[in-house]
Amino acid sequence: MNNDKLVIGGREFNSRLFVGTGKFSSSETMSQALKASESEMVTVALRRVDIGDPGDDMLEKIDMKQCQLLPNTSGARDAQEAIRVAMLSREASGINWIKLEVTPDPYYLLPDPIETLKATVELVKAGFIVLPYINADPILALHLQDAGAATVMPLGSPIGSNRGIQTRANIEIIIEQARVPVVVDAGLGLPSHAAEAMEMGADAVLVNTALAVAQDPVLIAEAFKLAVLAGRAAFLAGPGSVKKHAEASSPLTGFLD
Amino acid sequence: MPKLQINGDIREFTPEEFPALLSELLKMLGLNEVAIIAEIDGKIVKKESFALTQLTDGMKIELVKFVGGG
Repeated sequence: MNNDKLVIGGREFNSRLFVGTGKFSSSETMSQALKASESEMVTVALRRVDIGDPGDDMLEKIDMKQCQLLPNTSGARDAQEAIRVAMLSREASGINWIKLEVTPDPYYLLPDPIETLKATVELVKAGFIVLPYINADPILALHLQDAGAATVMPLGSPIGSNRGIQTRANIEIIIEQARVPVVVDAGLGLPSHAAEAMEMGADAVLVNTALAVAQDPVLIAEAFKLAVLAGRAAFLAGPGSVKKHAEASSPLTGFLD
Repeated sequence: MPKLQINGDIREFTPEEFPALLSELLKMLGLNEVAIIAEIDGKIVKKESFALTQLTDGMKIELVKFVGGG
């Protein structure tokens, strides 16, 4: 397990748990949850400054030595808006990593596959390391990796829904076909969901809401850390196959005959 | 009265108080330059240019920053 590194965009990661920073009750809690998660990939969003109440600089709460900052394009409704946000993010942070999210419909926040592919092509050309958030569509995943995406990030269920992996069959196909790391993003509400994704062979998972809205975000961050480790170890161990009938664990050879 | 559109809101200034430079505007608004990203009329302004970027009447300015997000 110690040599089991995840490589994205030429950078090595020891942790396979990516963490979002939204919706925490305070920056302090967010910062403690990040520490407990031992995550090395942390997402942030870009928004207009509230001139009346600019707030603090949340980047100060993230340990940039430990973590790769991954700005997202949340709020973008089409490729053009996503590209604009990505350019602003790069200017702001000097970081050319981008979690590409194009969600035209705020009710389900499902990603637009056509605009996501368009934006990926442009952003890869512009020198970005692009991690697109997608529906669990195996053909789209192939198109995106051909377009130069650094990973594909299929959803388990809608963002923030905590419903777990509702797209299992398609995620299995994506994992089977992928030449880039597969990160299961969105909808993972419990550590067991994260472990399930890792047991299936996902390369990493991304969680935000599950941590931020828990009564104890720090404790559940630790639970997710352990679940990801356990799920990954189980995948590497090569679990036994599922059978219809019983197969005795104890020897069935002669006993008290 | 000269005005600027800042994050969608129109702000009017007397000619004397109209900020000559982007850096002056940020100071006037009490914003920490380090955390801010600016776009003027759809073009990104590099941080090192904040103190060199002249403002003129009617410019559309977007000021953004990183916040928590997933």
